[in-house]
Amino acid sequence: MYELEATADIFVMSTQAKAVERSTTDEPIEVRLVRKALEGDRDGFGQLYSLYGPLIHGILLARVPRSEVDDLVQDIFLHAFKKLNTLRDWAAFGPWIAMIARNRATDFHRRSRDTVEVTDDIRGTDESTSRATEILEIVKALPDTYRETLILRLVEGMTGPEIAIRTGLTPASVRVNLHRGMKLLKEKLSLREGL
Amino acid sequence: MNDDYLWDKSGEPDPEVQRLEQLLGTLRYQEKPLELPEQITPSRSTNHVFLLAIAATILMALVAAGLWLKARHNQVPQDQLAIAPSSPSTPEPQKDAASPDKQKVVNPPTTNSGETERKPHVARAKLPTKPALSPKEQDEALAAKQQLMLALRLASEKLNEVQRRAVGPTTPIKNQHKVG
Repeated sequence: MYELEATADIFVMSTQAKAVERSTTDEPIEVRLVRKALEGDRDGFGQLYSLYGPLIHGILLARVPRSEVDDLVQDIFLHAFKKLNTLRDWAAFGPWIAMIARNRATDFHRRSRDTVEVTDDIRGTDESTSRATEILEIVKALPDTYRETLILRLVEGMTGPEIAIRTGLTPASVRVNLHRGMKLLKEKLSLREGL
Repeated sequence: MNDDYLWDKSGEPDPEVQRLEQLLGTLRYQEKPLELPEQITPSRSTNHVFLLAIAATILMALVAAGLWLKARHNQVPQDQLAIAPSSPSTPEPQKDAASPDKQKVVNPPTTNSGETERKPHVARAKLPTKPALSPKEQDEALAAKQQLMLALRLASEKLNEVQRRAVGPTTPIKNQHKVG
């Protein structure tokens, strides 16, 4: 619980810091952090990791088994660190690393084929986690466009505008995805509870 | 459904969305320290290689162009020598008078009378005569041409190599700006 709160605090602080940075230097914080990282400042990349960790976690959670997500998050950031010099538009760090995560998830399925045991995910430590995992599986059964946005909103606690900024999607697309995705999710949940 | 709450958590909370937030929030990201190996750094060496390769290519092209110009420069006096015997010491106005038909062909008709007295263009006078190159000069010209072709081929190879290195082996990141 403490870790959860800490993560939330970091997230809020990061977004506030981001707003301050933008207003003072008129340069996106991503640009400054990428520059620092390329100059050899590992803390700069550490800040990018804190800022974009929830996004990558959410993207992976929508695509791969939960037990694999944490390791993949680390792999993706490590890969991004190595390939950071290939990023042309530093302000587009979010969409870039999000694309790496989506490709890595696809690659994961291509490599593991049918060997992944989905049942691992369903085994929870307590009832609420077990119930959450069940609902997560329902969300994951939704179309691609909806599940990622819904997970970022409901699991990671990001708002629609934040999702739009981080993923590079337009706010209108995010809003539509959230609305339609939630409608579908509610239908599926009511069907399930009705059985 | 309260769309505002789902969108940016403003407005009246939607009870079902709140319930899902509480349940699914237990699966939220918990940051773990990122382990970056010390030996790994995001190097910019590719950019340096790329710039170096471009500089080398430009240098090679300049050298090749210089060689070609030198060979061509050697060829020009031979051309002039080939033309010179036809009118070795005749003053130009007399040359014009001696060959009025040639002047008509060379100078286009004009309304300005002053322009008709202009000297005929030397280059036009040269056109009909094919420069006679000695075997040695022909060899030099051929060698210069071959050097130029070789330099261009090398430059092309280098650019291809640099492009391959810059792009990298089958990178999984495609269309990084094409999102959504």
